[in-house]
Amino acid sequence: MLIQVENLTHIYSQGTPFEHVALREVNLEIAAGERVGILGPTGSGKSTLVQLLAGLFKPTSGRVLLEGESIHGKEATARRLRLQVGLAFQYPEDQIFEQTVFREIAFGLRNLNLRRTEIEARVNWALEMVGLNPAAVAQRMPFALSGGERRRVALASILAMHPRVLILDEPTAGQDSQGRRALLENVGRWQRETGMTLIIVSHALEDLAVLVERVIALKEGRVVADGPARQVLSDAPLLLDIGLDVPEPVALLQALRQAGKNVRVDCFLPAEAAAEIARAWGLQEIVS
Amino acid sequence: MRPFIEIEDLEYAYPLEGGDQIVALRGVNLTIERGEFVALIGPNGSGKSTLAKHLNALLLPTAGRVCIDGLQTSDPGNVGTIRQKVGMVFQNPDNQIVATTVEEDVAFGPENMGIPPEEIRRRVDSALVAVGLSAYRQHPPQMLSGGQKQLVAIAGALATRPSCIVFDEPTSMLDPVGRRQVLNTIRWLNTAEGITILLITHSMSEAAIAQRVLVMEAGRLVMDGAPALVFGQGTRLRALGLDLPPIVDIAQRLRTWGLSLPQTVLTVQDMVDALC
Ligand SMILES: Nc1ncnc2c1ncn2[C@@H]1O[C@H](COP(=O)(O)OP(=O)(O)O)[C@@H](O)[C@H]1O
Ligand SMILES: Nc1ncnc2c1ncn2[C@@H]1O[C@H](COP(=O)(O)OP(=O)(O)O)[C@@H](O)[C@H]1O
Ligand SMILES: [Mg+2]
Ligand SMILES: [Mg+2]
Repeated sequence: MLIQVENLTHIYSQGTPFEHVALREVNLEIAAGERVGILGPTGSGKSTLVQLLAGLFKPTSGRVLLEGESIHGKEATARRLRLQVGLAFQYPEDQIFEQTVFREIAFGLRNLNLRRTEIEARVNWALEMVGLNPAAVAQRMPFALSGGERRRVALASILAMHPRVLILDEPTAGQDSQGRRALLENVGRWQRETGMTLIIVSHALEDLAVLVERVIALKEGRVVADGPARQVLSDAPLLLDIGLDVPEPVALLQALRQAGKNVRVDCFLPAEAAAEIARAWGLQEIVS
Repeated sequence: MRPFIEIEDLEYAYPLEGGDQIVALRGVNLTIERGEFVALIGPNGSGKSTLAKHLNALLLPTAGRVCIDGLQTSDPGNVGTIRQKVGMVFQNPDNQIVATTVEEDVAFGPENMGIPPEEIRRRVDSALVAVGLSAYRQHPPQMLSGGQKQLVAIAGALATRPSCIVFDEPTSMLDPVGRRQVLNTIRWLNTAEGITILLITHSMSEAAIAQRVLVMEAGRLVMDGAPALVFGQGTRLRALGLDLPPIVDIAQRLRTWGLSLPQTVLTVQDMVDALC
């Protein structure tokens, strides 16, 4: 097993009036090459969990193992393990500090002993992966970009590191639909080519539906569901319980079903839902 | 009476180091009346935030003019009044919080305007009631959820008693619960308080609740009309890299299967009514 999470508990500000239990006894296993989505309302512990997976701070109790070794263990081991996990933060704009987009993305690469040409190739590749044109943005100052562009630069700097485990914390928030689709397609394709492990945190059920095969749902720091993506994502009572909306195509199909129509409900995309309604209504596509 | 917002031939270029510049707005003409609820959509980098920042003089036109309630933003003597008339709420709730308790945060704007303390107290009270956060007045804002922080930012904007509030992607960092809280509050501000709303969003379903939708592309305003009209132009929107609201998208696809559905179908309920 690539990643093992054992009895992971995390309490912020322990022993103060602001003490807050963010994760409670979480147990999980993630195999190499899996594509996993993490779903849950704000405050359910998603960002805490992925930051612990990336070894950014120590949990209150419990362990995170990467190929059997603790990512919070001895410093030398932990540092080696942490290099294999790339986490793109939920609010990446706060993490940007270099003077140009190129230097920002090249920053982490400098620790990898790469040749100059290889660094340039990776920076360009990473910018294209996130839908930015290297020629147009590489020499610009990161703070002189629009908010959405800045988030993509931060993400590119993680992709450029080619981590074995890629974790994206709400990567599509604040992106337009084309940017979002391109990003998900590119990351999905890259995952299939390399067989890396992909973990995505998102509230956008339709994003998860196209990208992951398994979904873990969190509520108040506990795992409340863990199963095949389509099953978890169309489980209306579960989604209602954790305060998430079903995607509109699913909501429409559920409403039609309540009105007595015989339709499937696990269609997340408008094209799928339209085809399902057309089938149930016995429509023939007009070929023009 | 003149429209509340009047924008004429607005151009804006960000100066870059070394004398270069980035042209972010090109020849924008736009008027918005008092009490309108307008949504603004467009791809990343199309100039939405740049336009928004012209509405309360955070940016001043490189060419052309912007008038708020008849006052031109480029006149330094008008800036104070304009900032009182037009409030702003931005995307990231964490960057907007300035104080250590919710009520101090909400009081920040009116304090800066030199309003007397009793009046500030009244305004803070009513702003917190308006967004449903009265119970949290003594809380440190850091302890609130993202949606609640965004409501604090809205209360802060409300406390300056603006005629208009510009929301720049207020929900894109929020979960569905937070999003609903914020959208319901925005809708209420418009219908009950008569506040003019400009809502910038990437969510087509959110844009569909406005009375009027504006579309920007590469610094230009390229579409302007009622939601049904704008979203009726699916091919054009897709060419801009924008989606349709999911229900509108499904309706258009079903029309290509020969089903006749009214152009006004925007919501799940509309669609169920049309189909059953
Ligand atoms: N540094 C911190 N100090 C105190 N509480 C925190 C801190 N960071 C997060 N929390 C709290 O822990 C809970 C889980 O947070 P987080 O993991 O960020 O959730 P999510 O990513 O699901 O929104 C939230 O209630 C949050 O307010
Ligand atoms: N501070 C800045 N300096 C230079 N260019 C900027 C700055 N802010 C935004 N831009 C550029 O202006 C254009 C419009 O940006 P913006 O108004 O933020 O777009 P949107 O809000 O539609 O995503 C983009 O090309 C962006 O890169
Ligand atoms: Mg989070
Ligand atoms: Mg913007």
